[in-house]
Amino acid sequence: MIRRLIRSRFALPAALLLAVGLGSVLSLASGAKAATRQSTRTGSSTSPATTVPRTGRHVLATAGATHFVNTKPRVTPHATACTKDAEQIGYRSPKDSGSPQNSTPRYLKCSHGKVVQYGDKAITYRLPPSSYIAAGHELFEENCSSCHLPTAQGSAAAPSLVGVGPATVDFWVTTGRMPASTPLQVQAEQKPPRLTKKEAAEVAAWINSLTPSAPYIPDVHTKGANLTQGATLFALNCAACHTITGAGDALAYGTYAPTLHLATPTQIAEAIRTGPGNMPRFTGNLSDAQVRDIVAYVSEKIQHPSDPGGYGLGGVGPVTEGFVALLFGVGGLMLVSFWIGDRSS
Amino acid sequence: MSEPEETHVTGEVDVTGPGGSGPGDGHGPGDGSGPGDGSGPGDGHGPGVALLAARADDPHLQDATSHPRRVEAIVGLFFLVGIAGICAFGGAYVEGASTQVYAATLFVGLFCLGFGLTAWGKYLMPRGPFVEERHSLASSADEQQAMAAALVERTGIVVKRRKVLGGMLVTGLGLFGIVAAFPLIRSLGPKPRSSLFTTNWKKGSLLVDLNGKPVHRTDMQVGGLLTVFPKGKQTTTTAQAVDQTVLIRVQSTKLVTMKGRGDWAPDGYVAYSKVCTHLGCPVGLYEQELELLVCPCHQSMFDVRDGAFPVFGPAPRPLPQLPIYFDSTGFLRARSGFDQPIGPGFWERSTIGNGKASST
Amino acid sequence: MAMTEDGPRTRRAVREAHGPYGRIQQAVNELDERVGIAKGGRALLDKIFPDHWSFMLGEVALYSFVVLVATGIFLTLYYVPSSATVVYHGVYKPLDGMRMSEAYASTVNLSFSVRAGLLMRQVHHWAADVFVGSIVVHMARIFFTGAFRKPRELNWTIGIILLILAIFNGFIGYSLPDDLISGTGIRIGYSILLSIPFVGSYLAFFLFGGRYPGHIILERFYIIHVLILPLIIIGLIGAHLGLLVRQKHTQFPGGRRTEHNVIGSPLFPQFAAKTTGFMLMVTGVLGVLGGYAQINPIWQFGPYEPPKISYAVQPDWYMGWLDGALRIMPSWQWTGWGHTIPWEVFLPAVIFPGLIFNICLAWPMIERRFTKDYALHNLLDRPRDRPKRTAAGAAMIGLLFTVFGASSTDVLANYFHLSLNQVLWFFRVAVIVVPIVVGLVTWKVCVEMQRVPGAVKRKRPMIVSRTSAGEYVAVPAAERPGDEHHELEPEPVPVRIELEPEPVGAGTTPTAEAGVRRVRR
Repeated sequence: MIRRLIRSRFALPAALLLAVGLGSVLSLASGAKAATRQSTRTGSSTSPATTVPRTGRHVLATAGATHFVNTKPRVTPHATACTKDAEQIGYRSPKDSGSPQNSTPRYLKCSHGKVVQYGDKAITYRLPPSSYIAAGHELFEENCSSCHLPTAQGSAAAPSLVGVGPATVDFWVTTGRMPASTPLQVQAEQKPPRLTKKEAAEVAAWINSLTPSAPYIPDVHTKGANLTQGATLFALNCAACHTITGAGDALAYGTYAPTLHLATPTQIAEAIRTGPGNMPRFTGNLSDAQVRDIVAYVSEKIQHPSDPGGYGLGGVGPVTEGFVALLFGVGGLMLVSFWIGDRSS
Repeated sequence: MSEPEETHVTGEVDVTGPGGSGPGDGHGPGDGSGPGDGSGPGDGHGPGVALLAARADDPHLQDATSHPRRVEAIVGLFFLVGIAGICAFGGAYVEGASTQVYAATLFVGLFCLGFGLTAWGKYLMPRGPFVEERHSLASSADEQQAMAAALVERTGIVVKRRKVLGGMLVTGLGLFGIVAAFPLIRSLGPKPRSSLFTTNWKKGSLLVDLNGKPVHRTDMQVGGLLTVFPKGKQTTTTAQAVDQTVLIRVQSTKLVTMKGRGDWAPDGYVAYSKVCTHLGCPVGLYEQELELLVCPCHQSMFDVRDGAFPVFGPAPRPLPQLPIYFDSTGFLRARSGFDQPIGPGFWERSTIGNGKASST
Repeated sequence: MAMTEDGPRTRRAVREAHGPYGRIQQAVNELDERVGIAKGGRALLDKIFPDHWSFMLGEVALYSFVVLVATGIFLTLYYVPSSATVVYHGVYKPLDGMRMSEAYASTVNLSFSVRAGLLMRQVHHWAADVFVGSIVVHMARIFFTGAFRKPRELNWTIGIILLILAIFNGFIGYSLPDDLISGTGIRIGYSILLSIPFVGSYLAFFLFGGRYPGHIILERFYIIHVLILPLIIIGLIGAHLGLLVRQKHTQFPGGRRTEHNVIGSPLFPQFAAKTTGFMLMVTGVLGVLGGYAQINPIWQFGPYEPPKISYAVQPDWYMGWLDGALRIMPSWQWTGWGHTIPWEVFLPAVIFPGLIFNICLAWPMIERRFTKDYALHNLLDRPRDRPKRTAAGAAMIGLLFTVFGASSTDVLANYFHLSLNQVLWFFRVAVIVVPIVVGLVTWKVCVEMQRVPGAVKRKRPMIVSRTSAGEYVAVPAAERPGDEHHELEPEPVPVRIELEPEPVGAGTTPTAEAGVRRVRR
């Protein structure tokens, strides 16, 4: 009977039909699965020889749109209470541009007509409590006012700090760059911080009280971050200075990109948003979710590389590799041949 | 140096032995000399009592070491460890282990076996020294001349008698060479034509980032940096390679406006080709306080405020500037394409965009 | 097979049929009757290899190449030479879902999913680095000892070509994974081709199949890397070793070593044991490097895409000198009549290496022009005895080291907290100063060493004694062997004693004369 079934002239068409049907169902299913995955890359593929499945390409093409979905503000009811303050600190409603200036806030949290917190699932930006202001003023007088002047207006030796936003202050103080040990250096040196984290927040609170300004101190929620997107954005935006392994390197005229291996998630986000020193400032063109992805990639893969191949050799590439090859490879084997051969002639 | 060692070496040892000078030499007693005890497969030695006696007496046919037993033990130990290493490597491979385990076992196995074998060759075999004579490779003058004569005279005969035939053959083979080489090389790729002069930027191209998001005039603050592409080309590798452009926002008051570029940089937004004019690396390194673009490959530095002119390093030309404007909705668009070829120099490149003569 | 079937079976029978060496004799006979191996084979087993350690440097290169071929075959089983775009879904999470070339995806897969794949990849890469390194060290030995002189000019030429091919194949090889850093290297290579006047754009378009990045370069690089260049290299290594066997080794003067003999260990068994052991040790060392020193972690770099870039991008060390030359080159270009000559690329990346390699290739001729030395040489020079050559070689090494150092200006500036610009200027000056200073100092040192003949002479001790009258008397100590030996002049070669082989115990002093025999061939 089976033989007859096989011989039947319907067998081949039926089998083909079945295969096509199964295939389309499977590809639909996989397409649906792919649609739920957040994809970094967009657009169609480069060459006709691509092996990207059709459905995959479709998903990739629409992935850019999710960016806009993310940026739609979902302002909490009491946000209206502090719209004016929100505008003052530089926060802009995303509607007029399709992308916000400082962040992609999904909510604003207000207190007494002031924005105290904004952000979304990826990053929450917090203002240090107003109770910190007094202590902050004292700390500023002690540590900073000699260069930045007691009014924080800045001098020939140091820039004005009015309106820089709490994140800027927090970054410079928690990374130990400020207070500077030797002012007027080409680039402030990173060292163990002199002020504690809380003290940094206090100074930030006082400076912000002069002219309130965004960005506030970011709190990055790396859970659920997209490492792939983080790696892509890192290679596109960060690796040109910090190197692809985050080791850092020398830049023009005595400046340098510091290593990323010491930075905390908050500091990384602060640096991206405020652009300290010579670092470019990444604002509207990176969403909070994207910043979170970069932070997650740096704190997971850059700071803790798995190095399955052995010692990482400092992550500076062929320079050290060449030294190892010549010193231990060729040199070691020359030692062996020293032993094997005669040394005299 | 070890001249003393040389002084007590008293002779050279025949390693050729019987048969070296051809068959029929026979095994004369004492003629051949064998290796020392226990060296296993040595060179052939003829049987005979005299030989054994010679071996016992001749210091150069003894093991190189004076303590063969001790060395044997050491070599044996290394072999044992080596065997264990090889076994461990096999076991690790079968079970699947980390790269470090593979490397350690492989190293122990191979290095110990190799060390043992080398020590065996160095200490447990006759030391010699052994001598080989070196004969001139050159033949006699007569033979050399005969060879040259044969070459010249025979060729002469052929060419003199059959000049036309020879010429035809050479012509045919030569033509084949040219005909075969031309399509082989020519079919490797297209001619450059004008493709090195063009990009996909044209009038009205919308500036988008890698994700296809357009850039609004409010998107970037001073000190911001973004890599942009003409819309629709942002994900094609071939297009990315030529279209990539850096968009930077600087204080518009700081910009040095060059003649004819008055409206190229609205609101301090400037766009330069990201392809370095030195060797084509992406110039992605921007220092916002120095306002320099630096090429990460060979550290050419370009002054962003001043038409991206090179101020340091090997790059000879400024990065081509893309003229941009805000459309009615506030998004950035290109006024036109680049006014000069992007990227590194090449022979056909004209002199446009070279000097600073056009700046005001 | 056939011969054993109807031939004698038992050991005794074999021995009776073929003489005292039994089956080995039988095998030799059978082979010899067909291809005639006995005479040449015996001579080969007797081939003498000098024992000096510096003669083993070439072996390091040879065995690294063996390792390269072995690991390379393994890698070809998994690597996919394709620029087609795929989406990666593998074990390395930060790349999951990323678009990349199939070449890169397959390289990541073979590193993470193939058993011992990462080890093989890393051993291959280390072996390449060591291969080129040992060639260079070997070449330096040949140069400074004058081993390239007549009759060995041809082998010197082959060696230089091997070095060039090794460098090229190394560059192409590390470009194959198509990761961010090697992709940048290919971009630079394209631009270098482009810089050649008249034909540059055509060359670049033909090699890459169009405007950068083309779509075919990985496929072409692959076949060049795994087939074309390795075949040429294997052929040239064969010629290199063939010439070595035919011309026999050089050796240092001293002892009984003359222009007309070679002293050392025979190929079998002494040299065979030592060199086989050395091969195993080379493999072991490369293996341990491959497992404990991470090289080219491409998963960290990510796939190549034109707008992405990492700082601190250097090529592998043997290309570093070219990269350094590109960095320190001032921005010179000629433009006019609608054309551009990009000297800033063409000079350091095409002319400079061309010049260096041509000087190397032509060195035997250059030196002969100055020395007018047309004689055959089988004894080596000591470097100090040829101060000008040694100085020239040292200056060349100084030059190459300086430009090599210039390829890591950024890393040096970062490490020593200096300004990148100052470091670059330092190298621009150093590249002119260092070779001159190194050359002059080397020349002076060599000359001084020659002028102090007694510096290495062993002085005979004096015995100072006091007589009973209280007078001090200095008497030279009794002569010891080697006391008066003058190291700078080779010991006079004694006339070779040709003794009749005589039974030991015939009354001669055994240690002095027993075993003094000669090679007959």
